[in-house]
Amino acid sequence: MDVINNLYIGFQTALTFQNLYLCFIGCLWGTMVGILPGIGPVAGITLLIPATFGLSATSALIMLAGIYYGAMYGGSTTSILMNVPGESASVVTCIDGYQMTLKGRGGAALFISAWGSWVGGTVSVIGLMLLTPVLADLAVKLGPAEMFAILLLCFILLASLGSGSFFDTIPVILIGLLVCLVGIDSQSGVQRFTHGITDLYDGIGFLPVGMGALGIAEVLRSTEESLVRTVSKVRLRELLPTRQELRSSLGPIIRGSGLGFVIGLLPGSAHILSSFLSYALEKKIARNPEEFGTGRIEGVAGPETANNAASGSALIPLLALGIPTGNAPAVMMIALLIHGVRPGPLLISESPEIFWGLVASMYIGNLVLIILNLPLVGLFVKLLRIPFRILFPIIILVCLVGTYSIKGSTFELGVLLFFGLLGYVLRKLKYDVPPLILALIVGRTMELSFRQSLMRSGGSFSIFWESPVAMGLILVSFFLISWNIYRALRPQKASWEKALEEG
Amino acid sequence: MKKILGVIAIIAIFTLAITHVSVSAEYPTKPITLISPMAPGGMHDVIGRSFASVAEKTFGKPVVVTNIAGAAGLIGGFKIVSADPDGYTLGVDSTTVTNSVTWEIANGRKPPFTLNDLDLIGSLTLGPPLVLVPFNSPWQTLADLIRDCKAKPGFYAFSSAGHMGGTHIAGAILVNGAGLKVRHVPYEGGGPAITALVGGHVHFMCQYVPGAFNLLRGKKLRALAVQGGARVKSLPDVPTVRELGIDAEWEQWYGMSAAKNIPAPIMAKLRDIMKKVSEDEAFIKVMQNQGDDVVYMDPIQLAKHRETEAGKAMKLFKQFLAEKK
Repeated sequence: MDVINNLYIGFQTALTFQNLYLCFIGCLWGTMVGILPGIGPVAGITLLIPATFGLSATSALIMLAGIYYGAMYGGSTTSILMNVPGESASVVTCIDGYQMTLKGRGGAALFISAWGSWVGGTVSVIGLMLLTPVLADLAVKLGPAEMFAILLLCFILLASLGSGSFFDTIPVILIGLLVCLVGIDSQSGVQRFTHGITDLYDGIGFLPVGMGALGIAEVLRSTEESLVRTVSKVRLRELLPTRQELRSSLGPIIRGSGLGFVIGLLPGSAHILSSFLSYALEKKIARNPEEFGTGRIEGVAGPETANNAASGSALIPLLALGIPTGNAPAVMMIALLIHGVRPGPLLISESPEIFWGLVASMYIGNLVLIILNLPLVGLFVKLLRIPFRILFPIIILVCLVGTYSIKGSTFELGVLLFFGLLGYVLRKLKYDVPPLILALIVGRTMELSFRQSLMRSGGSFSIFWESPVAMGLILVSFFLISWNIYRALRPQKASWEKALEEG
Repeated sequence: MKKILGVIAIIAIFTLAITHVSVSAEYPTKPITLISPMAPGGMHDVIGRSFASVAEKTFGKPVVVTNIAGAAGLIGGFKIVSADPDGYTLGVDSTTVTNSVTWEIANGRKPPFTLNDLDLIGSLTLGPPLVLVPFNSPWQTLADLIRDCKAKPGFYAFSSAGHMGGTHIAGAILVNGAGLKVRHVPYEGGGPAITALVGGHVHFMCQYVPGAFNLLRGKKLRALAVQGGARVKSLPDVPTVRELGIDAEWEQWYGMSAAKNIPAPIMAKLRDIMKKVSEDEAFIKVMQNQGDDVVYMDPIQLAKHRETEAGKAMKLFKQFLAEKK
């Protein structure tokens, strides 16, 4: 009954006129931040911190958290409509989301993505409310060895992400890995492939790479085709998902909620991992996995649900221990400190109104977001009626402004254009680009956790089999990789044989 | 369509907020940009944003904090020293920035700027690291830690927020001072490093008071010693390393700097505001909440302090580079 009592107090805090208004502003701004490529939740929150100075700590946190989970709603929009990831967590949404748009189902993809986001967001608030103390202790128990094992599994799943065979995806992954080697090695301070360029000290960011290799490359490729597009009037019925689409997205949304919530506890870029693991999972269990990449609703529903579910559980270590595990929670912690709150293990008992006010506001915020986002679907789909000769320059401008807004660096604009060309060449050679970007994201953390494990154990590999979690995951990875190799090498049946069997 | 254009206009305004206006006698006449040379979420940010919220009242103009992260503070630092010397661009300066420049020199590289390119305005905090262990660790005193580490050389491990960063230096100074042989596991940032300590993946860590204070209050960590000249006000029971007979002192400061050649009256006003912020109750409370002491040093004292610490760091870096060869 404690929970209900506390929640009652929480809603009393969250339902004051001021807090409702702030929650709405946070969600609205968050949606915009999510839609705009480049500006992510971290920049969105830091921009609004000064605006919270006059407010109480609870109100400030309600608004800033709204930006954070609101951004996960908006992130899919440009991925689906333009093939430009609006937020790092929406890279995988580009794969099937954009294909759906090309088939005229962009409205349905946006609709399902908003719906899935709501389910994922709500599930993670319930989890946050009930399980925070338990899960916080569990989250810190994950050491570098476990982290490495999880990332290794992600890595093997990466190879099955492409539409081609296992061996077609490997070269693209290797390019991604090469790119992630650039920069100062955090374990020894040695500079790798920086050639004395200060801008390369921190490596090559994956947002300029992603926007270039997906967005710019798509524009380049499309210019080869006719620039005249038949402008069709979109009817309301076409905006809504069909019954079939709703039914097929139900499973991915349920699985995405659970998966996202668990992955959100991992340190680092949990929301990115969650969306792409959900995609890999949906593809693995689908009856016709080869249809992924051609515009399957499951490839949108799962990942978009998972990244919202992850955004809730990523707050658990911050609220229960005062340890932010990602960049966005770290900025929220700064805001709390400036407001005179002490985030730490005693936060929930010392300032229950902050924790429960936030939980209650997240229920409200998720409702606000779905009410806000569904009407926007109609508006965004209208964008597709813009002729290509106007739409393409807009996409390029969005990519340029988005990249420049990350660090204000002209060097990164060069990175964007370089990877735009590279992405175009890869597309012409019939390689898939998303695995490159994901290899860039996962590769860095994987190398880090591998070397941290070995530094911890003094160079002995035993650290990996002393932990049952790590050992189990590594075994699964090896099984998957051998199975993939076997499948790729096994003689293919000729098409007439298949036809015979089916007939 | 209109919506998207409007939205683009909004980002354009945000990103192009810094414009050039000639120096006037009535300083300041426009918003001041404060560069934080680290990613959002660290101490640089807390100091910068708390300073901004107080200084705004004195300046009468907004102080906009911009994070220009990268290369352990070198990219943001370069932006500070190469800004127009008109007093409208300031930067958060710290021991970390000093270390990054020193590390480049120790490796025989030419850093993008030298320490002399930074015109110091003053310091805001000065604090020692703590020797920390998980709360359930069997080590109750620093003597326990030293005894066990000496009994099993090369077995125990400590975490740091990054290779040759502030917490690695603190750890290395303790290890040198006590004559230990332990493993070092660098993490990317103070958050992951202290998480590893709370989770028991490493045995100890030398972290500055703000990064650990609330975890100490919440009984997730235990502090065995203070690596400073005196005990910390917020943790009166924790002895200093000197009291325990070990030479392992090191302190880290945060303050503000700007480019050289700012007109003297503007610089005088900036130094005056620094002092006022360091006496402001709201600012002191934010620092106290994380267990940090506000210490104001004027530019002359600070320059002297910085020279000593850069010398210590250089010695440590050279020792480290020699060991590696």
